[in-house]
Amino acid sequence: MKSKRFEVLSNKPVNKDGFVKEWPEVGLIAMNSPYDPKPSIKVVDGVVVELDGRARADFDMIDQFIADYAIDLKNAEKVMAMDSKKLAQMLVDINVPREDLVKLTTSMTPAKVVEVIGQMNVLEMMMALTKMRARKTPSNQCHVTNLRDNPVQIAADAAESSLRGFDEQETTVGIVRYAPFNALALLVGSQVGRPGILTQCAVEEATELVLGMRGLTAYAETVSVYGTEQVFVDGDDTPWSKAFLASAYASRGLKMRYTSGTGSEVLMGNAEKRSMLYLEARCIYITKGAGVQGLQNGSISCIGVPGAVPSGIRAVLGENVITSMLDLEVASGNDQTFSHSDMRRTARTLMQMIPGTDFIFSGYSATPNYDNMFAGSNFDAEDYDDYNILQRDLKVDGGLKPVREEEVVKIRNKAAKVIQGVFRALELTEITDEEVEAATYAHGSKDMPERNVVEDLKSAENMMKRGITGVDVVKAVKKAGYDDVADSLLGMMKLRVSGDHLHTSAIIDSNFHVISAVNDTNDYMGPGTGYQMSEERWNEVKSIPNALDASDFE
Amino acid sequence: MQINENVIRSIIEEVILNLSKENAESGKCCTAEEINGLSLTPIGEAEVGKRKDEVVIGIAPAFGIHQTKTICKIPHADVLRELMAGIEEEGLKARVIRVLKTSDVSFMAHHAATLSGSGIGIGIQSKGTTVIHQKDLFPLSNVELFPQAPLIDLEIYRAIGRNAARYAKGESPNPVPTMNDQMARPKYQAIAALLHIKETEYVVQGAKSQNLNVEFK
Amino acid sequence: MVDNAVLEKVIKEVMQSMQTSTGKTTQSKASCGSECSSDKMTRKDYPLSETRVNEIKTPTGKSLSDITIENIMSGNITAEDVKIAPETLEYQAQIAESVGRNAFAMNLRRAAELISVPDDRILEIYNALRPYRSTKAELLAIADELENKYGCKINSNHVREAADVYERRGRLKE
Repeated sequence: MKSKRFEVLSNKPVNKDGFVKEWPEVGLIAMNSPYDPKPSIKVVDGVVVELDGRARADFDMIDQFIADYAIDLKNAEKVMAMDSKKLAQMLVDINVPREDLVKLTTSMTPAKVVEVIGQMNVLEMMMALTKMRARKTPSNQCHVTNLRDNPVQIAADAAESSLRGFDEQETTVGIVRYAPFNALALLVGSQVGRPGILTQCAVEEATELVLGMRGLTAYAETVSVYGTEQVFVDGDDTPWSKAFLASAYASRGLKMRYTSGTGSEVLMGNAEKRSMLYLEARCIYITKGAGVQGLQNGSISCIGVPGAVPSGIRAVLGENVITSMLDLEVASGNDQTFSHSDMRRTARTLMQMIPGTDFIFSGYSATPNYDNMFAGSNFDAEDYDDYNILQRDLKVDGGLKPVREEEVVKIRNKAAKVIQGVFRALELTEITDEEVEAATYAHGSKDMPERNVVEDLKSAENMMKRGITGVDVVKAVKKAGYDDVADSLLGMMKLRVSGDHLHTSAIIDSNFHVISAVNDTNDYMGPGTGYQMSEERWNEVKSIPNALDASDFE
Repeated sequence: MQINENVIRSIIEEVILNLSKENAESGKCCTAEEINGLSLTPIGEAEVGKRKDEVVIGIAPAFGIHQTKTICKIPHADVLRELMAGIEEEGLKARVIRVLKTSDVSFMAHHAATLSGSGIGIGIQSKGTTVIHQKDLFPLSNVELFPQAPLIDLEIYRAIGRNAARYAKGESPNPVPTMNDQMARPKYQAIAALLHIKETEYVVQGAKSQNLNVEFK
Repeated sequence: MVDNAVLEKVIKEVMQSMQTSTGKTTQSKASCGSECSSDKMTRKDYPLSETRVNEIKTPTGKSLSDITIENIMSGNITAEDVKIAPETLEYQAQIAESVGRNAFAMNLRRAAELISVPDDRILEIYNALRPYRSTKAELLAIADELENKYGCKINSNHVREAADVYERRGRLKE
């Protein structure tokens, strides 16, 4: 006989998820591996001669880079001598200010920081994240993609996303050669929704830089770093090439952050017997050492790996905390499908949503997940109302706001028309009125007419060959008759000249005022301090259209 | 339609394939039984090809030996047969090499492309992840990428072979429709990690790739 | 395609970049003028787009307020004008240091040097720094080029260091 209860349970969504047991010998363990190195540092004449149990002569590339660039040696010996449990307690102690802690945390070695995090449960890590994140005001980022790389739909979805509250937007491609169109549609569409949105197009490193140099994107994020030398090299880079790339971006006035995450090394087959969190800590230190202002982490595209082992989601929160401890911007993941279970995926997101991070999602899917070309996000366009109500239930600022159907339809229509005009002015492929109409009301690419892909790809290639820049886009928008959008795009171009948005955790408000961890530093020290929702913002969050008013019943 | 030797061959192959499909219920994810119908014999170091009409398929270190099925248990014999048939259907020649120096699918594909007389190569891992590459692109870029191995069935492998051949002929085919199942990750990613770790154990640093004589039994 | 206007612009740019690469330190102090005297920029000066709207210049010598729709439509402002200048990145580096972000400041200083290196060359150097792409001699030649042709002292040391590390770890082109 089979138990009927067990039959019911076995059909629950959570049991469609894959789970595996720990296998520390190949690095298939979230944190606290018996094979992780013990923390140590030896400094002679200002040079690190031993790091986490390894002598300088035996350093691999990553050890050397971290030892020479990533650790503030001023307090190193002092903090390494401190008890890790005591340091963990200081992280959750509201009486110890962030400023004091940063002086200690930026002097730890990777093994030390992992040992400190290893002392904490998830509630304590959330406390630490609330206090340690760099920017006081939390924010959010979305993905704008679709299965057919349809530029009209990208523009419309981008405009809607801006309206809903995302301060950063990211696109990527199904077909690599579509990248110029996707970047262009996102740039234009997002500014239609609200001035000052930062956009990026995630493609291969060198191509991504070209798009940025041309002024078709405002920042970059898919600049991956890894925690073992072999995997770093398999990723076709080294810490030195990546650090050079970081400076190349800044030299063109482009914001950038790196990307890493637990599980990538084990997924790529070379984890050197280390735990996922230890290797991720090395990535965070590489980011720090390269002088990059921030990092996207929280396992990212490898979330299925920590998600399948014990304490994996705790480790994922841990990596976000370490990033903020090193005084870096954190775009904290939640950007990839993680579970079939609605309960699991919500619990996983609350870890970042409740404390608040610089970007709670580093890609909330602004489309239904079938259109998400990052292989699906943890939350998608069909979860908007759930997310808004979570904010309202808990009085937590998750960066979004409820919107009305009429305003969404209006802004989508405008974005589709503007991109139609831009394509015409730049002599790219035709966008028909039928497509504009479809994009206005579409939920996803299934609602869009098909485009001639071969013609689009030729036109996109031609656009790059002709050297079209952001300045040409401003002109095209102006010629198409949308002066307000042309002004916004001009504001984006001017950012490149001042470079204010290069700083840690920068976002831009609709008046092109830069808000970053320089002028909006996190000063949380317990109840009544740090970020507080304004009355105006709370009214926005609580005004869901379907809440009944007592007066409706009179 | 012009009937030539290749077309006839591919029709025969398809008929045989369908017979074996009926026997083994293969083609759909996770239903096939193991078929060891493949012999891969090394016949010397793989060199840069001179034939403009070839597409090089680079198979991963463990492919067909230490692992014999993809992540959703499609036999490697069937996968390779379809890739080759797709190429031959377009009138081109498939050359199969074993890559030993890396198990990374993009690097394998790029390496295959640099050895290919046409400049087009395909890389395939034991778990089934596949890339079409061109020799002048960055290694981690691609012509077409099929990252979600659990979603690739035999028809798609054939289409991948066909498209690779068409790129080699200088055509611009419609890309094979991208499949996207956002729930493949939670279900398969950790297993993919296990399979890839096992494959990577057979990587030999700096080893030259080998030409293979492929026989289907 | 190369007409006189383009040629003129290129010559101007080259001259500009030569100036910035030779006298960078003195120039950044000089252009800072009287109001900041010997003081470095701090968080109080941030954001520069609000506190220094007239002082911020593009590498072509235009100021932020010159970047208007009218000037773009008339061609007075081109893509070449919408770029950051080495002095501005130096100010931003000082602001970063004032809030304790020294590694980030160093990145901005490397970036300030790279402004004078053309886009295509930047991409080529980046690709040359990738693993197995270059011999040691090739990397050292790039380091010399960065230092002598573009005045990029920090970047040139960075590339030399990479050459040593790649050699030690067997990541050079065979």
